[in-house]
Amino acid sequence: MLQLTFFNVTNGLIIGAFYALMAIGLSLILNLSGVINFAHGGFLVIGGYLAYTLRPYIGFWGALLVAPFLTALIGLAVERLLIRRMYGRDPLYSLLLTFGLAFIIEDATRQMWGANGLPFSVPEALTSPLSSEFFFITGYRMFMVAMVAIVVAILFVLLRYTRIGVRIRAGTLDLETVSALGVNVRALRSLNFAVGIFLAGLAGVLAAGQIGLEPTMGDGLLMPSFIAIIVGGVGSLTGTLLGGLLIGVASGLTAVVFPSASEAVIFVMMALVLLVRPRGLLGEEGMMT
Amino acid sequence: MIRPIAALDRRTVVKAGAALGLAQIAAPFVISARGETPIRIGVDNPLTGTYAAPGKNENTGMLLAVDQLNAKNGILGRKIELQIEDSTSGDAGAAVQKARKLIERDNVDFLVGNVNSALAQAMAQVSNEKGVLHIVPGGHTDGITGVNCKWNVFRVCNTTRMEANSICPLLFSTYGKKWHFITPDYAFGHTLYEGCEANLKKLGGTVTGNELTPLGITDFSAYLIKARAANPDVLLVLVQGNDMVNCLKQISQFGIDKQIHVAGTQQELEPVEAMPPEARVGIWMFEWYWKQPGNTPGLDQFIADVRKRSDGKVPTARTWFGYVTIHAYALACEKAKTIEAKAVAKALADLEMPPEIKMQPNKVYFRGGDHQLMLSAFIGELMHKGDGDPENLFKVNHIVAGDSVAPPVSETGCTMQMPA
Repeated sequence: MLQLTFFNVTNGLIIGAFYALMAIGLSLILNLSGVINFAHGGFLVIGGYLAYTLRPYIGFWGALLVAPFLTALIGLAVERLLIRRMYGRDPLYSLLLTFGLAFIIEDATRQMWGANGLPFSVPEALTSPLSSEFFFITGYRMFMVAMVAIVVAILFVLLRYTRIGVRIRAGTLDLETVSALGVNVRALRSLNFAVGIFLAGLAGVLAAGQIGLEPTMGDGLLMPSFIAIIVGGVGSLTGTLLGGLLIGVASGLTAVVFPSASEAVIFVMMALVLLVRPRGLLGEEGMMT
Repeated sequence: MIRPIAALDRRTVVKAGAALGLAQIAAPFVISARGETPIRIGVDNPLTGTYAAPGKNENTGMLLAVDQLNAKNGILGRKIELQIEDSTSGDAGAAVQKARKLIERDNVDFLVGNVNSALAQAMAQVSNEKGVLHIVPGGHTDGITGVNCKWNVFRVCNTTRMEANSICPLLFSTYGKKWHFITPDYAFGHTLYEGCEANLKKLGGTVTGNELTPLGITDFSAYLIKARAANPDVLLVLVQGNDMVNCLKQISQFGIDKQIHVAGTQQELEPVEAMPPEARVGIWMFEWYWKQPGNTPGLDQFIADVRKRSDGKVPTARTWFGYVTIHAYALACEKAKTIEAKAVAKALADLEMPPEIKMQPNKVYFRGGDHQLMLSAFIGELMHKGDGDPENLFKVNHIVAGDSVAPPVSETGCTMQMPA
């Protein structure tokens, strides 16, 4: 039983790292632009499918590099044409827009690549598990965790030490003043959105190796991302990272004792957080006003 | 300058004209009285969501059948029109609304659907209330031809009990007596598990565990950890569709298939085509398969016709379900010499499918007592790569007759209430 628990905690951290990647992208977009991006799962799907299409030409590693950038470019176009018009309005508007966009992306994907799933294998080099006993720690999952860790670290460094990063962080707190100081806020928002979508695209490529690549694959991953943000604290990227890991572990542990509740438990966690500490674990009070 | 009150400016006129033009296209066509009105078949099946792939394949089979029949003057000399609606993959309200629309507004003579068995049952309530003949091509829950059987409802695909009965003895004798299950947590999964458990107990085996997984879950690692710890002889994967793809992908990545035998009951070509080669493992049953041993009448032509309509892809069991549904209806109407629902239902009961429609050995017919089609079970193994043929992903070893594995009508819970 102890070993089972240990295995599931470790496994939960691996799953949680993936949720965190999705959630951080979502959080970036929410913090600076006040946009609730329900189409984030759709961009994940785009990332996965682009990787599938590019792979015969540039291989898995090439696709891993290129697909997220292409997805970010698509995200940039969407931001300029659609999302930009929602700034300054009630977040409900952006929620409705992105909700509709999610359906459009799903069906467009279905039209272009067909309704049936597409096979996507992980590279040979990454297939083997760590050992027979730790079979669930495969090379690919370790690679996923490493990618998440690297990308999150780069993001934190960028936000902390680069001028653009500082501007984004400042914009999260007070966009008006930042604008008054002469910063091009429009460009800042576009760039921020593109970075968020880049992370979604990357999550899509990583997910395609682990789960089936099909038009609805983003649906099951979007809700946990939102919950990670709420549990960790709206407005705090560290909180979002922590939130993702926590819900991953909670889900894994619940599967040991009560398997059919392993998905429901993350909603229970969200409800608890909202009741006891509505700003989340590391969130600051008043972030959403 | 004061504008006149009733001024009609250019923009208003343009808008009105556009609206009028749109209304012409949007409104249903009114067919004026002609000598022979067409027979309308209403299809209420998923075109979006998680069941879009099987839904579309069923539609392909139906459209092929309709074209074939119309080329030979339709049914009883009347052309057939197919009206296709998207039921969505899980919204029962939408499915029921579409069913009502097809029956009440579009006056369909025959209703078809649904891939999702919960939606199929909801639609069956409507079709029964309105007295319209209804065939369910691919909804598996036992109740449709069991406790909820209705005089106007027939079903093509297997019941979960038939599936369990067809393959469990083979799994027991091939792999061993300790079984662990990964079961989707909804009606289909529960009844499939119960069927397998009943078979296992009868054969003298034991269940080492049953992991109930939420529908649509993407990560099966926690359940696979438990399954591995239980050390069974065989791991039965009962989840379907995208869940099946995810589960088998993870099983092969974890190397579990090298330590425990992996098998299951129902398998379909749609998820198998979505799996990378290394995930194609195990013994399964298909409800129909395109590559069969021996010579099967009508099969080659069927494959060729389907390839033309599906970008070169081979037919799946779903394509065949749709195909049989339309042809069965046509045969029953011709037999009854009318399209009146009660007469057609009577003709359809015990109706045997001819060789070029059934495309399999064994007798295939709708059993009169519960309106369940007695279709064969194709039992075999998944292949990493085809045997020289990259499209052939499943090796058929046995084709078991449906009526040899179906429980008798008395055990299904069906008490058919025929109308007056």
